[in-house]
Amino acid sequence: MPVGPLGIDPVAWAPLRLVLAVALALFLVLNGALLMIYLERKIQATIQDRIGPYHVGPFGLLQTFADALKLISKEDVKATATDSAFFLFAPAIVFSPMVASFVVIPFGPGIQGADLSIGVLYLTTLGSMAVLGIVIAGWASNNKYSLIGGLRSAGQLISYEVPQILALVTVVLVVGSLSMADITRWQQGPLVNFFVLPFAFICYFIAALAETNRTPFDLPEAESELVAGYLTEYSGMRWGTFLALTEYGEVTVVCSIMTTLWFGGWQGPGVDAFPLVGVLWFTLKVYAFVVAFMWIRATLPRLRIDQLMSFCWKLLIPLALVNLMVTATLLLAVPGTLLPIAVVNWLLVGGLLFALPAMQRRRLRGLRERLRASAA
Amino acid sequence: MSFDVFHGVLFGVLALAIVAGALAVVLMPRITQSALFMAFTFLCVAGMFVLLGAETMAAFQVLIYVGAITVLILYGVMFTPQRTGHALFQTQTPWAAIFVAGLTLPAVVFAFSFRDAPLIREFGGDLVPLGTSLFGEYAFAFEIASVLLLAAMVGAIVLVKRDED
Repeated sequence: MPVGPLGIDPVAWAPLRLVLAVALALFLVLNGALLMIYLERKIQATIQDRIGPYHVGPFGLLQTFADALKLISKEDVKATATDSAFFLFAPAIVFSPMVASFVVIPFGPGIQGADLSIGVLYLTTLGSMAVLGIVIAGWASNNKYSLIGGLRSAGQLISYEVPQILALVTVVLVVGSLSMADITRWQQGPLVNFFVLPFAFICYFIAALAETNRTPFDLPEAESELVAGYLTEYSGMRWGTFLALTEYGEVTVVCSIMTTLWFGGWQGPGVDAFPLVGVLWFTLKVYAFVVAFMWIRATLPRLRIDQLMSFCWKLLIPLALVNLMVTATLLLAVPGTLLPIAVVNWLLVGGLLFALPAMQRRRLRGLRERLRASAA
Repeated sequence: MSFDVFHGVLFGVLALAIVAGALAVVLMPRITQSALFMAFTFLCVAGMFVLLGAETMAAFQVLIYVGAITVLILYGVMFTPQRTGHALFQTQTPWAAIFVAGLTLPAVVFAFSFRDAPLIREFGGDLVPLGTSLFGEYAFAFEIASVLLLAAMVGAIVLVKRDED
């Protein structure tokens, strides 16, 4: 009879493993959210020359715990005009794919829920499911601000999924595998994928900001114009599940994807001797991106919806398509070396940096002409 | 002991869920609810694919049908107000049911006649066999389909643009 880990019967081990994995993922998501909200407040406070939370606990560390307790103990308010069943289920529909994403994230050598052969595809699939929950929330709230928020979210997420997937595909083409563990192992040594495919990384980074509804792409929940969009009718822990847990969980997931695909995942000095050091490296890299996300949130203003769309469809997608085509052609034309791909990618980064101010200048010129025409 | 028992139970649950979800799509009073139940049905079909060992197909099923098509349908439907639209399609339901059943039954009988077809390959739904057959054996059909979609898209844009002039 085959014996599973710890001498447990494999038939009993399979469900036990599932329960353990879900519990671990929930543990990571819940505590990660608490930590990240504290981090976000402190970083924003530092950038805005404030102190931030400091009353509850040492350095204000228990502030988010107090807030979570407050959210849980709040009354579950539900307006009569909402479509009750869908209104109640929408947070769950957004939350569960995010938790399921943690299955394929490689935290360390061999420390992974399941090494699926379609890991990257699985992550994009789950990412695309979150839209559904937000659209349902917007519609079921029966409120025009929520509806506009839901519609904006659908438009934004579907648009930014295109450059996101195109960026992922270039990495998959170069590595030749969709498995997260294979992609990590492929990047031995200091020459990680970022140096070969920097444009794909920038493309994914921008699209990931849009996918997680973070500033400057937080239009679906823009509080100053849409009174928080699809979140308007939600309160208490339903709101907490939506905003706090799901948003920060998704930020963790996209930062883990960036770490794994472009920055070598858990690889770092000392991992071969002590595999658990890999978890430390992975966490450090992920939190470096998380801090970058927060830095962007504290410093950049929100885009307008037409700017959001034109940036995606007129700049990001064409460049990502060029990147994909050139990468695929060079992979076949010059086998054995990644140097030409790296050169083209760095050139594309230069192109993007040049195109942004050029577009801005053209826009300003058009604006000035219209002003002059209206004045005349 | 093996997992065959779970396999049967899972198949039963998924089959029931698919049929129930499909019924709900037809019977729900509001079209938005129908669209959401359609997403649920698609998800259960993806579960069926996983059960058959075709994870890649399942991933694409969710990515395209749940993540894109249902959201696009909802995107269109959301412009309709929530409380109206009752009994808009309801009178047609029995006739629609008869029509669809009349079309589906022969198709199902036809499909069951392929019981011993040589086309069924083990792990045929995996990523590598799927990719090689799609871009090898069926490359022409694949390219034709993509050109057709492109033509449809350009046509739609041209039709919309003509109204603006």
